[in-house]
Amino acid sequence: MSLHLRSLSKRYGGTVAVSGVDLAIERGRTLALLGPSGCGKSTLLRLIAGLERPDSGSITLAGTDITGLAPQKRAFGVVFQDFALFPHLNVARNVAFGLVEQRRDRAASAARVAALLDMVGLAAMGERRVHQLSGGQQQRVALARALAPEPAVLLLDEPLSNLDENLRQGLSVEIREVLDRVHNYAVYVTHDQVEAFSIAEQVAVMRAGVIAQVGTRDELLDQPRDAWVARFLGHENVWEGEKARRVAEWVGVRLEAGDALLLRSDLVRLADQEPSRTGVEASVTRVEQRGLQWSLELAVARWATSIHWSGYAREFGSPPAVGDRFTLAVPPGAWRRLADATPTVAPDAYTDSTVTADRG
Amino acid sequence: MRGNWLGHTTGLLATGALAALVVVPLGAILVRSFSGGSTSVPGFAGGPLAVLGDPYYLGRIGFTALQALLSTILTVLVGLPSAVLLARYRFTGRRALTAAFTVPFVMPTVVAGMGFLALVGPNGVVGVDLRNTLAIVLAAHVFYNFAVVARLVGGYLEGIGPRLEGAAATLGAGPWRTLARVTLPLALPATLAAATLTFIFCFTSFGVILILAPAARFATLEVEIYRLTARLLQLDAAATLAFAQLVIVGALGLVYTRLQARLAVRVDQQGAAVRRPGPGGTALLALDLLLIALLVLAPLAALVVQALLGHDGRFGLANFAAALDAPATIGFTSLGLAVRNSLTFAVISGALAVSLGLVFSYAVARGGWRALDLLSLLPLATSPITLAFGYLISYPLLVTTVWGIPVAHALIAFPFVTRTLLPALRSQPPDLAAAAATLGAGPLRTFLRVELPLLAPSLAVATAFAFAISLGEFGATLLLSRPEYATLSTAIFDRLGRPGAANYGSALALAVVLMTLTTVVMLALQRRVRTEF
Repeated sequence: MSLHLRSLSKRYGGTVAVSGVDLAIERGRTLALLGPSGCGKSTLLRLIAGLERPDSGSITLAGTDITGLAPQKRAFGVVFQDFALFPHLNVARNVAFGLVEQRRDRAASAARVAALLDMVGLAAMGERRVHQLSGGQQQRVALARALAPEPAVLLLDEPLSNLDENLRQGLSVEIREVLDRVHNYAVYVTHDQVEAFSIAEQVAVMRAGVIAQVGTRDELLDQPRDAWVARFLGHENVWEGEKARRVAEWVGVRLEAGDALLLRSDLVRLADQEPSRTGVEASVTRVEQRGLQWSLELAVARWATSIHWSGYAREFGSPPAVGDRFTLAVPPGAWRRLADATPTVAPDAYTDSTVTADRG
Repeated sequence: MRGNWLGHTTGLLATGALAALVVVPLGAILVRSFSGGSTSVPGFAGGPLAVLGDPYYLGRIGFTALQALLSTILTVLVGLPSAVLLARYRFTGRRALTAAFTVPFVMPTVVAGMGFLALVGPNGVVGVDLRNTLAIVLAAHVFYNFAVVARLVGGYLEGIGPRLEGAAATLGAGPWRTLARVTLPLALPATLAAATLTFIFCFTSFGVILILAPAARFATLEVEIYRLTARLLQLDAAATLAFAQLVIVGALGLVYTRLQARLAVRVDQQGAAVRRPGPGGTALLALDLLLIALLVLAPLAALVVQALLGHDGRFGLANFAAALDAPATIGFTSLGLAVRNSLTFAVISGALAVSLGLVFSYAVARGGWRALDLLSLLPLATSPITLAFGYLISYPLLVTTVWGIPVAHALIAFPFVTRTLLPALRSQPPDLAAAAATLGAGPLRTFLRVELPLLAPSLAVATAFAFAISLGEFGATLLLSRPEYATLSTAIFDRLGRPGAANYGSALALAVVLMTLTTVVMLALQRRVRTEF
């Protein structure tokens, strides 16, 4: 039983928004669509909801083809990015909107609305106008409204992006709990990987209209499919082309032509100046503090390149400074060959911005 | 930026101008309606109670309100479907259609009136004579105002965008349910605002009545004031009626601004893409367009056809030729003189209205003269006849000069000008002026180098609006007119009032000329017109 997208494509004029997307969403396993803004993830969500018609491809739910079904016939619950609450209705009537369409009787409908408002912590707010609510409260109303008709599929389009940081953390936990309880098909669109990994079991990384990679948090972080995905997920030590070949040669990793090379610096440990047989010497060329973390740029003479490394104060005797020398303990499993380095589409603006992370 | 010297100067200028050109004339009406004019005894004996207690005048007020109400209901019924369809569907020719919708609204009353006469008048194309019926009055009012509904409500819905309807669909509501539960309720404030505005326009209807239903039982307050002033010279009674109308329209004007303020709060979301219609939508669209085309095109087409049709039944320019060489001896205005007067007045009043509008908008938006904004409602509540009547009794010398008509035209256009310029000025990011100041520009230099250039598109729209309004203005012109200042509008009405097919033919020809002039002006700003009522 699953929600299946098969080679789904959508273009607007000359712009390809979604191109040949294949995805299977399992019941009870939330899928996050993660990607930079403009990558087509919201369009994909609108295709699933039926708000847009695909140019080609199909959508099936539990074996039934729903590609041509109108959005009101699908009645998938959608939490919109800007909430899309009806300004002419109060909170309770917003939540009841879908129930009225289902012709539920008044009492049952009222009870369900009350239960949902209670669940999202707005029990006393039913009579409020929606514009009297804070952003976080509006978000909860949107969630309750989407859940009220007990939709087969719940779709959330960056539901937290319009809220400030403190609210997001709490709400993302709440949404996760709700999704766990409802136990249906759920797709969650976000550009924030922390959010994606905390809410969804499966994450599909999307780039320029195509799915770059699908996997769990560990799969994606441990073995990103290509240099772009690696950098998008925050890996700083990625080498491509000639540089990748050279570094790989130094460290003894076999690369095929076109492969990229990744060093999982989170597995690398710093050992104080003691030279050791397994270690490799490095000297600090730049020091930066990011919150509690220290971020170092280390020149590794033996590999003829620099790497980035981040860690906490406990790793050092005294605050690190430019010129300090360390020995790096690099476990053999820290190197990754990224086999699929050829970009599937022409590089876009996002590759440019991530390239700066590669100072090696 | 608040309260700089330029803000204060413009504030004083605008206050002075509005006081002299609106407050004083209206005050004169007020005084006259209570004091009984020249009679030395200030009291109520012959004053307001006598006139308003008269069942005849009460009946006139009742009829005026009733026809306005019926017109408004019909207008909303015709305009609302167009508004929804225009806001939700993208189709070929949509822009042109939106522009075409404005045509009736800016079409001079006299042209619309002549169009309906040519269509369903005594010698109309259709062959049914509806002159002096309520039906023809209502039809003309719908023709006139449906664009107000279509554009105001349509623009509002477009601003909200289809997101909420999308949300309704994901909650299981089909197209008709969405229309009933989301679209129409959302459109309610805009619809009420448009309906109020339509009611005001129909309540003060003048030219349509005078041309299409001149019988006494169809006289609106506006027509009654005109007759009392121009024909019967009962200025006291006219003042009382003008005052009564001012109170009613002013109250409605307040309602309208309240509603409009609510619209401004609601339209906070970005408009998203509208979609192409499906088969059902296409059918509805086609039906709606057909209805609109009939309503808008039929009178104008009939006008052109009849104007080209000489009284011998052959197509030609005989009517135009007759209009050209009018026998000046018996008071006819020739086509040339009428066109020259109309254009002259339009240029002068356009310049006046835009200058005053600029000064006013700067004072309100940049000088902190917020209260002035309230004063700007006065011209909106003042009908052309009321304004002209106020000028007659407060500036009897001004109205004998060539300046009376253009000043009145400028004041009539003033609300439209400010509704275009003020939002444009307000929407300019304040940081721009701040940046200019930090670069060494004083208030005047900032205005000339930053704010004014950015206003250019709105200025063009405002100018064209003022120009078009002056070109087609009828009521105030008629009341203030002297033979040598006759415009196209008054010349048409003059011909219409004279017996004979030749005069009727000339009136038709003049109406076609006026229609063409107005259309040219409208085409010039077609792309830029936004609904700024």
